[in-house]
Amino acid sequence: MENISQFDLNTALRLWLERLGQSPQIKVENLKELESHVRDSVVRLQTKGLSSEESFLIATHRVGSAAKLEPEFAKVNHSPWNMVIHGLILIFFSICCWFLWGILHFPQMMAYTREGRALPAFTQFVVGCGSYFALPPLLAAVYCAYVWMRRSLRGNSWTGFFATTMAILIFLTLLTMIAVFLPVIAFMNQLVAK
Amino acid sequence: MLAKELVAASTVPLVLSVLTQGESYGYELIQRVRELSGGRIEWTEGMLYPVLHWMEDEGLIKSEWREAETGRERKYYQLCKEGRKALHDEKQQWMSVHETLTKLWKTYPSST
Repeated sequence: MENISQFDLNTALRLWLERLGQSPQIKVENLKELESHVRDSVVRLQTKGLSSEESFLIATHRVGSAAKLEPEFAKVNHSPWNMVIHGLILIFFSICCWFLWGILHFPQMMAYTREGRALPAFTQFVVGCGSYFALPPLLAAVYCAYVWMRRSLRGNSWTGFFATTMAILIFLTLLTMIAVFLPVIAFMNQLVAK
Repeated sequence: MLAKELVAASTVPLVLSVLTQGESYGYELIQRVRELSGGRIEWTEGMLYPVLHWMEDEGLIKSEWREAETGRERKYYQLCKEGRKALHDEKQQWMSVHETLTKLWKTYPSST
């Protein structure tokens, strides 16, 4: 018996691709390749005596559902947001390091030494290391450049970068706070005494 | 039928090996592996494409959209120099597993 409801392969394919295309993880080029795959598969199945509708159903079933494909495509089609977030973290981290470097000059600004008193040894040490505060942002910039240049982003999620930069920032903040704390207390005492 | 994990682990060496015989496209790659394995290696066909794109990003293979004999456009994949190197490494690893298992099964036939 003839199939009365006319099956149109092109329409069925278009609808199937539209459904897949709703996923933001699957790009237009991926859809184009999947379409080419289904068409090849349909042609092959038809040579085995299946109707175009049967061939289409089997071919699309073999490709897999959107729910199955989406996470796999998501692994390779990283959104540009990953790169933007890397950039934002780099800017924030650099500004924070520069700010901490500025705070390190605070003891000297307070005319602490004008009174003839030497800065505490730890403060002197950290102030001496001040120029090295440029090193972490520099390394972070090199890492970001590597991430931006690499096309495949597997394992280069921004969360790891964020955690590392924040850990370094906390460590540098701690050093700076301890270094500045003693001179600040002494300065306050002087003010009160005056 | 092969276990899911083994199918996933063998996808890259299988693709690389098929491509040593010349360029190919997604559907043909799947058919070739199905034939060679006697139907024991069954891929969820759509899953192959993300793997192919990852392999391309890693520089193992390269691709090109070209008009096929059907008149439609197809994406053809080709092996790169990096891919040959990767295949060499994969081959050594798979052969060492194969040799170890073969030796074990020969020495202790009861384990087969």
